[in-house]
Amino acid sequence: MIPVQLASFFTAATLILIGIIGVFFIDNLIKKVIALSFISDGVNLFLVTLGYKPGGIVYIYLPGMSSSWFAQNASYPLPFALVLTSIVIGASTLAVMLAIIIILYHRHGSLSSKILED
Amino acid sequence: MKSLIALMVILPILCGLLLNLLHKKDRTIKILALIVAIILPLIPLIASYGTYYFGGYPPITENPTIAKYLPAYITGSYLTKFHPAITYIFNSAQRIFIFILGLVAFLAIFTSLNEVKKPSGVYSFLMFMATAAVTAIILADDIFNLYVFFEIAAISQAGIILSSNIKGSYKMALRYLLLGGVAAPMLLLGVALLLGAVGNVNISDMILAMKTGLVNPANPIFLAAAGLIIFGWLYGSGLPPFHTIKSGLYSKALPHAASLIQAFSVFTLVALGVIILRLFYYVPVVRWAFIIFSIAAMALGISMAIMQTDFKRLIGFLAVGELGYIGIGLGLGTAMSITAGLFQAVNEALVTACLFLGFGTILYQTGTSEIDKLGGLLKYRPGVAGLMILAGFIMAGIPPFNVFQSKLMLIQSAISAGFPELALIMILLSIVTFMTFMKAYYAIYLKPEPRDLEVKDRIPSSTIFSMIVLLVICTVFGILPKIATSQFGSIIQLLTP
Repeated sequence: MIPVQLASFFTAATLILIGIIGVFFIDNLIKKVIALSFISDGVNLFLVTLGYKPGGIVYIYLPGMSSSWFAQNASYPLPFALVLTSIVIGASTLAVMLAIIIILYHRHGSLSSKILED
Repeated sequence: MKSLIALMVILPILCGLLLNLLHKKDRTIKILALIVAIILPLIPLIASYGTYYFGGYPPITENPTIAKYLPAYITGSYLTKFHPAITYIFNSAQRIFIFILGLVAFLAIFTSLNEVKKPSGVYSFLMFMATAAVTAIILADDIFNLYVFFEIAAISQAGIILSSNIKGSYKMALRYLLLGGVAAPMLLLGVALLLGAVGNVNISDMILAMKTGLVNPANPIFLAAAGLIIFGWLYGSGLPPFHTIKSGLYSKALPHAASLIQAFSVFTLVALGVIILRLFYYVPVVRWAFIIFSIAAMALGISMAIMQTDFKRLIGFLAVGELGYIGIGLGLGTAMSITAGLFQAVNEALVTACLFLGFGTILYQTGTSEIDKLGGLLKYRPGVAGLMILAGFIMAGIPPFNVFQSKLMLIQSAISAGFPELALIMILLSIVTFMTFMKAYYAIYLKPEPRDLEVKDRIPSSTIFSMIVLLVICTVFGILPKIATSQFGSIIQLLTP
């Protein structure tokens, strides 16, 4: 395995771990949401890293390329397509969560997760 | 008629988007929502069985025009069997699940439109979006597509709770989304591990790759993926450790919305559960995980139901407990147990929807869901009280209704699979379910009426109509269980050797 890919996997794992710790151990709701974005960013980075090809090219077939050369050198496009969708979904979920937090803050005057308790 | 397969997902999404745009145009919203809601359960009945390819094409083996332009190293390999498209599979099992989901959605939307004078376009939009998402989860043969709709279903359900405007609904929706913010990326990580190991996200292709030795199923990556996807499955279906949040979600929804959300949980459990068992068919620990989490759901759900003083939470916990029966059926892995589990899923979606609607009538009459503040409601609407006790009998598994048939099949399959202890647990918990329901029923309908209780005599006729429809189907499935059980052959074929 080449160092760039290894480093990316390590970073992804670190992001996910920090995110999980943040979600469960940080009291502030905004920080919890930031921690959640760490988790989804870590997973997205993991997906991008899967599609990485050392010395590869972007998966766009240009005129003049031979199909066999393209097949050998192009990076795998599927993970990138998945990440794009995942980013959109993640952003929507975070937006909804932040909107609810704003409303709860106006009602309770606090960002502590204790306000979520019944 | 294969294009109808796509329509099952596209139609509710389009309708939902349109309703969102029509916000405040009350009459148009009512008419459009009602028409589409009526169509929803009808589409699966007229659609042809088959596979639908979104944005791609069928495998090369089914596509000779493409095959003749491809080099021999492709046409001579397994690549010819792979699905280069987002694939939806529609068979008899999917038909009955989507029919029941569509029916519950229709009744929930119909009830909601009749209960409110000014229908909210946004609220109907969310109900349609969630229905579309769960339909897609049932149809999907593509695990990433499944993840996308899993997320849409979660956001839509949180949105439904937010729109209910019940005290504490914002907190509950946020709690649900925060947990989903952990569970959904874990599911995606599982998908990513599978993609890394197999190079594809199509479920049938992954299984083909494992069975033909293209990839080594013993690779520990598959076990890690299984764990992560099971975590997502537990969240989506509301099994422990997510049982509290799921029952809380039901309690913060309006009764018709709760009836729909519980159907989402049931069908997510079945659809994702079947996919997990198909993908990890060779890992016995996965089946054991199903059984263990299911027993935990039954035990925790029912024991927490006993302690509840709010009838919405009580039914929520009973619904979670009933999910365990489905998981046990799938986990045992025999043809009979899988049939029983899937039949139980259909039955639970129907009867729990009826119970939520029925308890909605109590809320409508009295404005409270606190059992201690209620009593003596029998004299106001004895007919509705009769429907409620019937629904309670059905849920507990009293013959000759549908849940009795499915629970009997589950007990028989547990004994024949060599697990009489499981059969005993199921019988005991059914008795406890019955007792819990009867305790609440006594407190609400039979106990002397508290002096300060104000009771409205009127109940929306749409709710009574919906309850009767659901109870009639429960009775028909109880007397003629073959109507449902004969539909599950396609799934049993996939799950049994």
